[in-house]
Amino acid sequence: MTAPVIAPETEADESVAYARPWKVLVWDDPINLMSYVAFVFRKLFGYSAEKAHRLMMEVHVEGKAVVSSGTREKAEFDVFRLHEHGLSATMEQDE
Amino acid sequence: MSRFRYEGAVVVVDLPSGEREMLAQVLSDLRDLLISGGETDEALRRLKPPAHLDNAEAESSYRELVDDDLLRSRLEAIETVESTLSGAELDTSAVAAWMQSLNSLRLVLGEQLALAGIDLVSHEMPDTASAALYEWIGWLLEQLISAASEHPDL
Repeated sequence: MTAPVIAPETEADESVAYARPWKVLVWDDPINLMSYVAFVFRKLFGYSAEKAHRLMMEVHVEGKAVVSSGTREKAEFDVFRLHEHGLSATMEQDE
Repeated sequence: MSRFRYEGAVVVVDLPSGEREMLAQVLSDLRDLLISGGETDEALRRLKPPAHLDNAEAESSYRELVDDDLLRSRLEAIETVESTLSGAELDTSAVAAWMQSLNSLRLVLGEQLALAGIDLVSHEMPDTASAALYEWIGWLLEQLISAASEHPDL
């Protein structure tokens, strides 16, 4: 397996205004371990342990959470990496 | 006794030989399923979740774009686990491969149990070999995550 080259994402990136950006959602599922989901968020997006845990809990409690956003290409890449790690991820364009 | 622990920049594996053999067997089964199951095996669909829920055209082009890469990534991870299965230490890329492979195994086993009507959320697992295997893989994965979480480069 080749280790993906990951540019750690900063909080500031998320507030950049894209023209109708795409958002990446992760959905709750009965199989993936909570610890695993949080670990994947840290590893793929460079999120702090706290942020990764908060997003994981949002997925668990609310059924889904937006975990990243950006251009279509970025969203597609993020969804691919999440699928590679076995998470149920989808992408949709902001209305 | 924990099967994985973080120690001096590597993750140390302490798996009894019987468990290594079991892991080698289930990984080999998973590889066979990944190669031969293709479009038909229902449990394998869990490894290829949809990216676009409301857009069949976008979903179809996403599948065309990534399915080969997803398969290749899983097969390479299995190979890495196999090549490090007899060793005692895992570097960062091996840890990532072990984690991805254990999780793939767990997803397929879990999906097979769910398809057989087992409620995975209830935590009332039946007394069967496949349920025991599912729980064992989960137990290993939990310990690997715990060890990897102490690793500054993971």
